[in-house]
Amino acid sequence: MSVLPGDARSPRRVVVTGLGVVTSIGIGVEKFLAGLRAGRSGVKPITAFDTTGFAHANGCEITDFDPARWLHHVDPAQLGRASQLSAAAAGMAVADAGMSVEALRSRRALVSVGTTDGESHDLDQLVGVQVDRGAEHFDPVVTRRVPAGRLSSSIVAELGLTDVEAVTIPTACAAGNYAVGYGFDAIRSGDVEVALCGGADALCRKTFTGFYRLGTIAPEACQPFDLNRKGILTGEGAGILLMESLDSARARGARIYAEVLGYGLNCDAYHPVAPDRNSIARCIELAHRNAGVKPGDIDFISAHGTGTKANDVTEAGAIRQVFGQRPPRTVSIKGMIGHTMGAASALASAACALAITHKFIPPTINHVETDPECGLDCVPNVAQEADLRVVQNNALAFGGNNAVLILGRYDEVAS
Amino acid sequence: MTVTTIAADELVLSGWSAASAFGLGADRFTAGLRAGTGAVTALDRDVWPGPYDRAGLIPGFDIAGVLGKKGTRSMDRATGIAVATVGMLLDQYGRERLGEPERLGLVLGTNSGSVQSIMDFTRESLTGAKPYHVDPARFPNTVMNRAAGQSAIWYGLKGPNTTIAGGSLTGLLALNYAVRLHRCGHSEPVLCGAVEEYSVPRGWLEWHARSRDGVAPADAAPLGEGCAIFLLESYSSAVRQQRRPLAAVRGSRFLAFADPAAVRTVLARAVAEALAGAGLSPADVTVLAASDSGDEFGAQEEAALADVLGAARPTRVHCRALLGDTSAASSAFQLAGALGELADRPDGIALVTGVDRDGQVGCTLLGAVG
Repeated sequence: MSVLPGDARSPRRVVVTGLGVVTSIGIGVEKFLAGLRAGRSGVKPITAFDTTGFAHANGCEITDFDPARWLHHVDPAQLGRASQLSAAAAGMAVADAGMSVEALRSRRALVSVGTTDGESHDLDQLVGVQVDRGAEHFDPVVTRRVPAGRLSSSIVAELGLTDVEAVTIPTACAAGNYAVGYGFDAIRSGDVEVALCGGADALCRKTFTGFYRLGTIAPEACQPFDLNRKGILTGEGAGILLMESLDSARARGARIYAEVLGYGLNCDAYHPVAPDRNSIARCIELAHRNAGVKPGDIDFISAHGTGTKANDVTEAGAIRQVFGQRPPRTVSIKGMIGHTMGAASALASAACALAITHKFIPPTINHVETDPECGLDCVPNVAQEADLRVVQNNALAFGGNNAVLILGRYDEVAS
Repeated sequence: MTVTTIAADELVLSGWSAASAFGLGADRFTAGLRAGTGAVTALDRDVWPGPYDRAGLIPGFDIAGVLGKKGTRSMDRATGIAVATVGMLLDQYGRERLGEPERLGLVLGTNSGSVQSIMDFTRESLTGAKPYHVDPARFPNTVMNRAAGQSAIWYGLKGPNTTIAGGSLTGLLALNYAVRLHRCGHSEPVLCGAVEEYSVPRGWLEWHARSRDGVAPADAAPLGEGCAIFLLESYSSAVRQQRRPLAAVRGSRFLAFADPAAVRTVLARAVAEALAGAGLSPADVTVLAASDSGDEFGAQEEAALADVLGAARPTRVHCRALLGDTSAASSAFQLAGALGELADRPDGIALVTGVDRDGQVGCTLLGAVG
């Protein structure tokens, strides 16, 4: 087998056959699906760090995650919280795909995990030690948990993989789509047989504080595309997709959630935090071209939709630029699970795959009145039944890093 | 081998730049490696307190001095090093010879971004009069894609912009990501490499991570810093732009290990499979850039290389002993060192190997072009 990536002559079709999710509205695919359908909210007062002195500190924290229940081979104490979430979600994805660990180990694999903060929650704790007692008192176990590479290497360790390339992609809040796109390319080109890809992040003081200082943390609820939206709520979670070639999935009779049709990446190269409409529009077009679809094919869009003034109006503008004045229904699940940073677009990818399989569009909750400047049908508050063929998942990040993923329904008969 | 034997769509490295303890620029890097003089020096303890008294710093590196005062007030060291190194590579050719900005990608490796920026930000929050009394201009520095994103802004790079992390294998993983990105049609050409900064917080994190029972191992290398960036493109693109290809990327192989005792076997397998995949034999390897970690993994790496390469005696490239442990940048520096040696060997094959303590081994093969 060639060791140069992307050498296959005829590209293979890539499908999603397993989902692992840890979110504030449910752990595991069944609870996540039920939460998406019901429009559940994961908002609660933050307990992950001391919020004294902040006027408001709601977030989408996961309070019922017991790592020992989900991690069977690695010692949870050796892992930071983001790595625990990542490894747990990967284990769930493999089980959900109905693939035995032995079968997984026998296949060449790629593991790619996106993140914004890596183990910054651990770094926060270490800064606390530094302030109180000095850096000479750091716990060596905690310092070893810090490298961002651990979010992917922990999956490898938990699942006991050998024939694997493992990489963490810390491209901030678009990282989940980057990671899924990387797995798509690796399978499509025949480099690997299976890919475990997605994103993970844990709540941390550092990022909450930064957004709070920028005035972009909503006091109570995240209201994407609403006239009176007040910003994001920071969240945490992990979403890992198990992807394989269509041939592989058919050969083992796997349930297919969706086909990955393609993705696009680009960079605004303009401003560190403010999104750029033209550049986002261009990224959407790149994704359509890569996936071989046209704007008219898209049945709904899962938006980045953070609920900040700037993001939502800019993203809506980019969507109208590509789709014209009657864009497809465009939702943001961040009203439900908050902004889970590097996990956000991975969890949104999982939501899109579930939407295709179960024929519904998840709602944009906390919605009162649509901002006319956004001018989108955001499926307010209540999920809608819908027969979906092609869906689009947007992700935008600090640094002007955009990533758009296109998923499609896989029809046994049509193929 | 002559240039006519390479296919038009084969991927080549046709330029590179480096910032390291040897100074700024590829020439200084190559000359420093060849001279074999250690560049790790005593730290000014007033500026750099912490557990280490020596490090491989970029000599006299001053962000505003290199990049100017405009736009650098809030820039952290990792970002400054990356922006400077990307700039040196762009200056070699001029932006107009690197194609459309929309197609020009950047893949940049890191370990955890700037832990100094991240930890200083939290520290401000914990020690200020109010927990939100932090400098908003420095918030983007605390996100790990800052160096890649800021390099794109500085030079108008509008193609894919990806940050990659994988411990000491980061440089090889970033190159493989760039190769796949190119092969799958997302970008042409691609700038790729890795950056690491020295800072007191990184010093403390590394010191504790390496320690056992509160004592740092005596053989632990001092830390270093720097960045290496490569220009990856198809052979036909290099020819069209009249750039001389320095090496073809012949392939990479990565494998994982659970038991540290298995590193020797696993790395030997990775190298053997990489060679076989590229249609090469161990005797073809003329340049070897191993990670030279000097610790338990380094010993196993040497044993694995002896197992695979047998009687072959390639020219060795030694980075770590001269530059310190540059973490995320280390395997990018190994690639740079290998490129330097290949320049004089028209038939040369370079093997770059690494072991990451979090459970992965990797290797990359480069072949001289004409």
